Parts: sequence; C-alpha cells; structure tokens
Amino acid sequence: MEPDVSIETSSMIRVAVLPIGHVPPVLLRDYQSMLLRHQTIPLSAISSFYTEHQKSPFSNQPWDSGSLRFKFIVGGAPPSPWEDFQSNRKTLAVIGICHCPSSPDLDSVIDQFDSARRAYASALVDRCFAFCPGDSQLEDGSKKGGNLMLFPPADRATQEFHLQTMMQDIAASLLMEFEKWVLKAEPAGTIVKTPLDSQATLNSEEVIKAKKRRLGRAQKTMGDYCLLAGSPVDANAHYTTALELARLTGDFFWYAGALEGNVCALLIDRMGEKDSVVEDEVRFRYSSVITHYRKSFIQEHAQRVSPLTFELEATLKMARFLCRRELAKEVVGYLTNAADGAKSLIDASDRLVLYVEIARLYGTLGYQRKAAFFSRQVAQLYLQQDNRLAAISAMQVLAMTTRAYRVQSRASIAEDSPSKKEVGSSLAEGGKMLHQSVVSLFESQWSTLQMVVLREILLSAVRAGDPLAAWGAAARLLRSYYPLITPAGQNGLASALSNSADRLPSGTRCADPALPFIRLYSFPMHPSQMDIVKRNPAREDWWAGAANTGPFIYTPFSKGDANTNTKQELIWIVGEPVQILVELANPCGFDLRVDSIYLSVPSGNFDAFPVTVNLPPNSSKVVTLSGIPTSVGTVTIPGCTVHCFGVITEHLFKDVDNLLLGATQGLVLSDPFRCCGSARLKIISVPNISVVPPLPLLVSRVVGGDGAIILHEGEIHDLWISLANAGTVPVEQAHVSLSGKNQDSVISFASETLNSALPLRPGAEVTLPVTLRAWRHVLADADTAGRSGSGGTVRHSKDGSNPTLLIHYAGPLTNIGDPATNKSAVPPGRRLVVPLQICVLQGLSFVKARLLSMEIPAQVGQNLPKPVHIEDSPTEALSSPTKMDGLVKIDPFRGSWGLRFLELELSNPTDVVFEITVSVQLENSSHDHRLSGDRDAAEYGYPKTRIDRDCSARVLIPLEHFKLPVLDDSFFVKDNPADGANSGRNSSFSERNTKAELNASIKNLISKIKVRWQSGRNSSGELNIKDAIQAALQTSVMDVLLPDPLTFCFRLSRYALEPENSSSHNSPNVQVHSAAAKGSVLAHEMTPMEVVVRNNTKEKIKMSLSITCRDVAGENCVEGTKATVLCSGVLSGITVEVPSLQEIKHSFSLYFLVPGEYTLVAASVIDDANDILRARARTKSSDEPIFCRGPPYHVRVVGTA
Amino acid sequence: MATTACFVIVSRNDIPIYEAEVGSAAKREDAAQLHQFILHAALDIVQDLAWTTSAMYLKAIDRFNDLVVSVYVTADIHTRLMLLHDSRNDDGIKSFFQEVHELYIKTLLNPLYLPGSRITSSHFDTKVRALARKYL
Repeated sequence: MEPDVSIETSSMIRVAVLPIGHVPPVLLRDYQSMLLRHQTIPLSAISSFYTEHQKSPFSNQPWDSGSLRFKFIVGGAPPSPWEDFQSNRKTLAVIGICHCPSSPDLDSVIDQFDSARRAYASALVDRCFAFCPGDSQLEDGSKKGGNLMLFPPADRATQEFHLQTMMQDIAASLLMEFEKWVLKAEPAGTIVKTPLDSQATLNSEEVIKAKKRRLGRAQKTMGDYCLLAGSPVDANAHYTTALELARLTGDFFWYAGALEGNVCALLIDRMGEKDSVVEDEVRFRYSSVITHYRKSFIQEHAQRVSPLTFELEATLKMARFLCRRELAKEVVGYLTNAADGAKSLIDASDRLVLYVEIARLYGTLGYQRKAAFFSRQVAQLYLQQDNRLAAISAMQVLAMTTRAYRVQSRASIAEDSPSKKEVGSSLAEGGKMLHQSVVSLFESQWSTLQMVVLREILLSAVRAGDPLAAWGAAARLLRSYYPLITPAGQNGLASALSNSADRLPSGTRCADPALPFIRLYSFPMHPSQMDIVKRNPAREDWWAGAANTGPFIYTPFSKGDANTNTKQELIWIVGEPVQILVELANPCGFDLRVDSIYLSVPSGNFDAFPVTVNLPPNSSKVVTLSGIPTSVGTVTIPGCTVHCFGVITEHLFKDVDNLLLGATQGLVLSDPFRCCGSARLKIISVPNISVVPPLPLLVSRVVGGDGAIILHEGEIHDLWISLANAGTVPVEQAHVSLSGKNQDSVISFASETLNSALPLRPGAEVTLPVTLRAWRHVLADADTAGRSGSGGTVRHSKDGSNPTLLIHYAGPLTNIGDPATNKSAVPPGRRLVVPLQICVLQGLSFVKARLLSMEIPAQVGQNLPKPVHIEDSPTEALSSPTKMDGLVKIDPFRGSWGLRFLELELSNPTDVVFEITVSVQLENSSHDHRLSGDRDAAEYGYPKTRIDRDCSARVLIPLEHFKLPVLDDSFFVKDNPADGANSGRNSSFSERNTKAELNASIKNLISKIKVRWQSGRNSSGELNIKDAIQAALQTSVMDVLLPDPLTFCFRLSRYALEPENSSSHNSPNVQVHSAAAKGSVLAHEMTPMEVVVRNNTKEKIKMSLSITCRDVAGENCVEGTKATVLCSGVLSGITVEVPSLQEIKHSFSLYFLVPGEYTLVAASVIDDANDILRARARTKSSDEPIFCRGPPYHVRVVGTA
Repeated sequence: MATTACFVIVSRNDIPIYEAEVGSAAKREDAAQLHQFILHAALDIVQDLAWTTSAMYLKAIDRFNDLVVSVYVTADIHTRLMLLHDSRNDDGIKSFFQEVHELYIKTLLNPLYLPGSRITSSHFDTKVRALARKYL
C-alpha cells in the first residue's frame, strides 16, 4: 500500500529526490520545499523545451489548459512489483540534490549520482541539482556537462526561477519520453505482468486467454501514460478500449485498474470541478472498482499476494474524494470497511499505511477521537518494531493524539487554545463557580485511556531516547493518575523521572509539572508591627478612615464598598521581605524531595528565595515562601517554580484549585490534599499586590525584655518602650493612641517624647515611658489561678485582654526619589501595634466590705490617755501627737466618742505577702479646718496591715473625717434651682433630690479612699474596691456624711479641770464629761451641770429640750420604761432657742442618791422644723415632730464612803 | 452471554461515569483498554448520529475488527449508554439498554447524586451486571 493516495494519484509522475553526498538536513528540507513549488507544471510553460520528434500519440493534449503533475519522493522508493499495473508507481525521473560546499569533488558527485540512479531502472529522466557551487566548481562543472546542473549562488528568487526552468525542462523531457513509450508500445503489445498472474505453467486454454488479455492490459498501460502526460481525453479513449477487452476476457483486476484510470481521467478533464453529477458518477464507478478488485481475489494466491491492498486503496481514494462533513456517514462506512481489511493484510507496513490514512481521513472529517484511535493503532504498530526510529515515530504520532485524549503537554495547550486558558483563569477569579463550568474543565477526562496513552508515550519516549518527552509524560501520568497507580508503579514512575532527568542537562525546564501539588495556604497580611495604612493628606489624623477601624470584618454599612473591591488589596514595600504560605502535598508512596521551590513572579520585580522541602509518603506540609519586592509596580503570583526530579517546572495555583473543585464535584479521582490528611481549605485567591517605594519602619522593643510583664491585680508599673526606625526613610509624623481591651489600665504614655524626637532618622531610637496599672483578674481564670497559685505555678491570662499601643507613623509626604509616583498618591503611612503584654495574676481578693459604726459613751473608768475638752476647738483635739489616738476621738458634731469604720475583709490566695496601706486623700486645704481633716494623720498615720499568703485579714478604714461642717441645704439641693418652689413638699423633695446627690457624694467620698498594697520590694498597687465600698456605704451614707443638726454636750459647770487632773480617782471635783475620768461624781451631793447645745444648721432652731438620767448604761437608756430601771429623773420642757451655728448653755443640777453607773441623755423636739431638718431626720410626713437626741453620757457616781 | 462486552455510561461532558467489563471471556487488561479506546472513538459517530434520529436506541453504529458498538442515547441530558460486544443479539441489547436506563434514572433521582459525576453505587453495579447476564 502507498501512503497519501487519491483518485488523482494515477496522473502523477513519480520523481525520486535523492540527496547526493552529504546534504545537511535543514538544507535538504529547504531544497525540497523549493522543489515542491513545482509539483504542477503547466503544459503551456514547457512548450519551449518541447520538440516534436514524431507525430505525438497524445492527439488531444490540452496544451493551453493541461499540466503535468509530479510527486516527489524524498529518498526514493524501492521498485514496486505492481509498477506494470499502474504506471504511476514507476519512478519515472530521478533528481539528485547536492550541496556543493559539503561535496567539493564534483566528479565523485557525478559518480554517486550515477550509481544512485541505477537503482531506478524505470527512470526516464535524471538530473542532479548542485546548489551553492564555488567558483572553481562552477568552472569545473560547466565543462562536465551531462546531468549535473549547477545553481550558481544567487538570491532565492533567482534560484527559484532557475529551478523552475530546470523543472520545465524535466517535464518536457518526460513528455517526449512518454510519447516515445506510447508509440513503441502500441505495435509491440508490450507484455505487462503483475504478481497476481500465475507463475505456474499455463495450459493451452489459459495461454490463449492470456494473449487476449495482453491487448487490454496494453491499452490500459497506454491510458496510464496518457494520463501522466496530462492528456485525459486520450487516456479515456485507451481506457474505454481496455475496459471492453478486460471485461471480455474476465480480467477483473485490470478492469478495475482501467476503471480507476477512467475515473481519474474524468476528474482531470473536469479540472477539479465537482458537481453532484460528477460525484455520483465517480461514486458509482468507484464502487464498481472496489467490487472488481474484490472479485479478482484468487484464493490460491492469497498466501502470496492479494489484490486486497488495491481494494483498500480504492476505498481510501473514494473516502478521500467524498471526505466532507455532509457525507460523514458515507465516509465513515468506507473507512470502517477499510479498517476491517486491516487484519487481512499480510504486510505490517501496509497495515501501518492503512491506519495512517484512516486516521488522516477521520481527522479531515473532524472526528478527532476516531483519528486518535487509529493514530494510536499506528503507534502500536510502530512500537512493535524494535528500533529507535520507529519509537520516535510512535512518540510523535502519540503526541498528536494527546489533544483528543486530553493529556496534552502544557506547552501544546498554551499554543492550541488560549481561550481555554482564559476560561480557567476567569473561573478561578470568579470564586463561585457554576457546576457546569467546573465540569467543562474536566470534559472528556477518560482516565483509563489517558493513562494508557501517557504510558505509551513514556515507553516510546524512553525507547526513542527523548528524556524530556519521557519526563513530561511520566510527570503528567504521576500527577493526574496517582490514585490509579499502585505504589510500586508510582515508584517506577519516580525512577523514570529521575532517570530521564539524569540524561537532561541541569536547569532543563518542562511545561508539565510533576509532584508535589501546591496550593495557596494563606496570604499573610502584614504583621501588625508593619501594617500599612492609607494616608489621607487632607486630614490631621491622616490614618483615620483607613481599614480595620472596627472590630468586624463585615459591616452592613460598608456594603457598597465591599461590592466594588471584591479582591483584597495588598501592598508590599520595596526591599522589605514578604512571606506567603503554600501547602505542598505528596499523595504518592515514595519520599519526595523538592530540591527548591520558590514563588514564580512573571512581572520580574520580585526576588524569590528558594527553599528545599522533603515530603514523606502521603503527607502534606505548609511551607513559607519568601522574597523581596525589588521595584515599584504590581506583582502577580500565579504559582511556584519547582525544581524536583531534576527538572524545573511551573506549578500554577489555579490548576490545583480547579482540581480541588473537580474533586468536590466528583469529577476527579481524588483530592491530593485530603488523601494526605490535610483539612479542607477554602480557595484563596491571589490578591492584587502592588509594590510601593520604601517606607519608614518602626521597630518596638520593651526595655528590659519583651516577655509578658507579670503583675498582680491593681499593680502599678512603669514600662519603657524603645522605638527604632529600621527603615530607610525618616519618620516625619507619628501619633500614639490606645486600643484593645483594658485601655484604662494604661495610666499614661508620653506621646510628647515621641513627637519631640521627630523626624526620626533611619537608625535613630526613642524611648517612650508608659505607666500601667494591672486590671482585675479575669473571673473565669480566678479559680484556676487560685489553684495554680497554691500549686506554685504561674498562669498567664489570655492574650486578648491586653491593651495595645497604636503608633501611626509616616514618612515624608512627597517622594523625593521617584517623581513619577508623586502625582498619583502620597505614600502610605504605617501602623505599629505594640501589644503591652501584661499577665495579670490574682492579687488580694476582696471578700466583703461593711460599715461598722459604734458610739462609745464616755465610759468612766476607761482609761484614755488624752481626753479632750469639749471647749477645745475640734482641730486642737485632733492635733494630738500620738496618731493611734486619732482613731477614736470625740465627734465634734455629735459630742460623743463615735467610731465609724469601713471594714474590708481581704484574703490573700497568692504565694506572696502583701502589705496594705490605707490612705485618705483629702480635699484642698481651705476645707481642712472645717472638715476636721487631719490630712497628715491620714497620710502616714494608719499602720500597715500585713497579709500573709493564704491568709485573710480585715482592714479598717476610719470614716470620721467626712462630716460636713454645717447641715445646710447645699447638700440636698445642689444644682437644683427649683428649690424654693418645692420647699412645701418635703418628702418628695428629699426623695428626689437626695438620690443623685448622694451618689455623687459617695463617689466623691470613695475616690478619696485609696487602699494601696505593697508586695516585695518593687511591686505595689492599689485595690480596686470602689464598688464594694459603695455598696457598703449606700444605706448609711447620710449618717456618715452629715452632721446631726444639734450637738449636745454635758459638763460639770463648776470646775474646768485640767486634763491631767481628770485621771485622779479621788478628786472631788470630777468633771462629768464625755471623756470623763474615773469616779468623778459623788453621791449625796448636788452636782451642777451644764448641757451645751450646738446648732449645726444655718437656721435658728427653736426646741424643747429634755434631759434624762437613768441608772442604766448603754444605748437603751432613753426609750421605753424598762423594769430594770430603778432610779431615773427627767428634766423636760426646757424651751430654748439656738441661733445658727451657735451654742447655748443650759445649767442644771443633779443629786445622785445611790452611787453607780448612770446615763445622761439630752434630747429635744424641734419646733417648726424646716425641710432640711426633715430630710435629715428622714421623716415621712410634715406633721411628724422632729426628735433630736444626743449621745448618752456616762456618769459614774461614787459613794462618799 | 456474550464472550466480550464492555459497558460504559458517558455523561454529556464525555466523561465516563460508569464502566464495566461484563463479558464472560477472561479479563485481560490490554483488551479492556482497547475496548475503552473503541468506545471512546465511537463517540464521534454517536455525536452526529444522535441528531439524525428520534430513536434512543441507535443500534450498532460502529465496529472495529469483530467488536461492535451499540449505543443508547438518553433524552434527558444526552447521556450515552454504550455497549461494546461481539454478539449480535439485537433484542437482548435493546432490553439491556432500556433496563439500565431505568436504573440510571433512579440514580439521577437520588438527591445526593450530582448529575455528571461518577456513579459509585455498588447497587447500581450489581444490577447492571445482573442485567448483562440476563440479556447479553
């Protein structure tokens, strides 16, 4: 069988093109392409070379429209046994091609050509074209003459013209030879034989038959020559005769041959015009041709020779003639029949040619899969031949099938279908893909076939010695079909990869990636230390309005913005290293060593740093890839460049993303990451990255170590943060602010220190002091901390509760170095986040607070070292030198020994010792004298309370200093302008007004109380117990804060003793006094006394005073009549009037009959009480009498005996 | 039962979503591959032929050597049931296709089955093989 047959093949003159001497392949191809332009030589062009020696047998030759056709066979072909049957199979001309510079000796060229053309006995014309001869050769060659044609060096057009002339000469010579042959053949009745004819002895009948047949065969052969000579009409005449004769003699084989020639003549005559009439005629005649070839099949010759090839050729010719999309069904029928014939073919190369032709025709028809199928059959036939050239052919044929089987090399995809690539990328960008579009990416993924094809490519490439193709095929096989390959097979592929790589030069690139699978794991934003903030030059606070102001990633209010920029924006800075996390997966059963992997950046403004990774079998690993942007612009990162198995490949993230999507849709065999045990990850798209010129870079460092500062609750600590500019641009603007939780724990930070240091040159450093106070320990951790505290371990509180310092800073507004960027945008600023790492340990824990209140009546016999005279001014009384005494003293407004303490119960669950100091901060000095504020005493007077570990203790805070000097309405009606109008409605007035004012006063009071603690040498702080104090004080604040409207004091009127004397037990002149000495009153003796009533209000008070004396000690000496009361006396109805802020004296005398303990109480009922008094007394209605009672005074009456 | 038979369901995207060697002949790997290659190539012919007829059963549409490809095209989403066989039991093949089509429709009704993805149900596989024994 012959390749590339068509109906017109019968009219083509076969010309062998032989390289003579050494011709470089490139040049040979070049010379051949020049020849190929002259496949058709019009008859009109050769008339000048043609001389009619005799009368031409081609009487109807169309000199104006006809042409001679050549078929060049490079390298020639061995003579066919069938060349008598079809003259176009004869090699009728030989053209030698010689490249003179590589074959200097023209004589040897001529010799070589002569010997070469001798192999072609049938050749009628031979020429040897010698290209590019030297000068000497030109001279030499012109003498040689003969068949050697020298093409002097010239430009291509000239050479082509020269060649054209030569070809026309050859054509003319051939034409004349054909004429000769036909003239000679006619009378002689040339004997033509085919292998089909019996070699055996013929009987007589057969001899006669053979003679008859010979005529018909001669006619057919003459027809062939007419056809070759370009004269279809003459050919047709001969063929018609031949057909008649062949039919008569039953020579079916030659009949079919003549009919084939007949059809060819018809087509040549019609000059290629194909109307339906011609088509039907051709179809009809050719089916007859096929039938007759089949009929000529002789069983006895079947082993040796068969006309089957002619039948198949005829079928292919028919198919080629009809090969159009509309007639696909018919063509498929012919091709299927042809394919069926393949198994009957004896010669393997015939089968090869047949499959090649079938594949080509299917390809022409657009049946790519059919074409691929037959191509693969061809490749298998090639692979059966065990030589390198066949393997190369097999590899090339298989490479053509890869498109139909969707296993193309990446390189060929890029050439073939840019549109497909775009589809993929746009899908990847879209984020959400439709199912159908995902499916389209995996269309025609027929894994079984793909694996087989790739394996065959690998096999043929190995045999052909093409390591790169082998590598690519093995890579594709391993990457796409690892789940279908056994571990042993995977190992085999891995060794195939490394073996191929051994034969490749180092640094070879391959378009097809192998392992590992690489996907984007995350695109780390800038670490908070070097965050970039857009700068708004119009505002003072230029960082405002930048991203990340709120705690929410998504805010419904910024919806419009979110739609416009769906992709994240990322800013990188020239010269600052960046990192990207990628995940590598090795789903195969062997150890994978990635020699280097780095980010591939086609934009070229990025220096990527390679890393080496080892992946154990079935594992995945997250790897950090880093690099440095080198110039301003945008950076695109489509994937990674990987050096693995000895070859450099490009791995695109997009491909793996698509693969993973396919895996989720059930379209791909397996997800490489999941089978390695990696979690599912949402697809991360590569953000738009732009690179900006250098910015300043502040680096913070906590002086004295960056570790978390361990503080007890409420501890106050100073911290120094050192800021250094590590960039190359000075910092010109900076602003410090606070963020995060527990912001109030930062008491102060010295932002002015930073501002004064601006501009901060590169390399410069500034230290920023910060004062901290530890916050309350987190409640959830409290019990665990308590446990761990006892166990001696330190438990850190959660990171999230730390406050952070935000430092916004920026370089110069205009960029000096780069004028191009000036107009576009101001360079962005940066934000430095300095987390203040504080670990709060549980400190003293507060158990409860309560108000302790007691009044100590002047206990006779109680030995108080410094009794104070009532006459003394309160301030004097408080100036006693011993500070302990200050705790218990006469309440100057109440006139008794009053004690009010705030008792705090504290426990120490920690393992350190605390010392508690209570201090009360008083207001400014102008109030001091009136408020009885002994500030100094408060500051240092209270002793330290020590609380050992795991102990609890009570701390008492005296509250006596807070009484206001005067009971006036200012306390109740502060800021209330409607006071006067409301004066009539007492109760509502008091209710309403007290609330807010009380709270304010309580706060005021509480804020003055500071409970400080100290632990160890340098740890100190303050307890935050405001709430507790407030709760404790809430109910009785009025008593604490406000003085009674009236103060009652008793004294003996006759004597005004010195304090020293009061201690003498036996002195007759004993003072009855709140701070009385022991045994001061004698029984049976008239004791003159005085009661001093002081008015603490600003109004004059009218009242009726009464004085009661009972022999009962304690508080209940006033109310009720108790059975235990034996002796009592009442002095009542004394009506007195006390002017505002004055005191009056009322003298009276008592006569004690029985010595013992007595209590003296003064009380009064106030007449016409005003609102203030009512509010103070908390009366319910306005009619209620206001009863005011003084503290009880003890009187110890001593018997005279 | 046919000695050689290979049954494949091809989705509209030309992805084989179900493959089964249902012949009684001894299974050889390279033969099974050839079967798939033939079926794959026959898709070209089905693609043209399916539009020329309203019948779902396209009969024998292609052959290679002794192996014949019969095809049944479903109406819903152009899924093709393709059978490669060496027997000529036309009626049996037709019944086989019809029953497998019913099975396929039942699979499609499964809400968890994504049309166009591989059929991995072992129940489906068992049923198809049983049908092949019955009809082929």
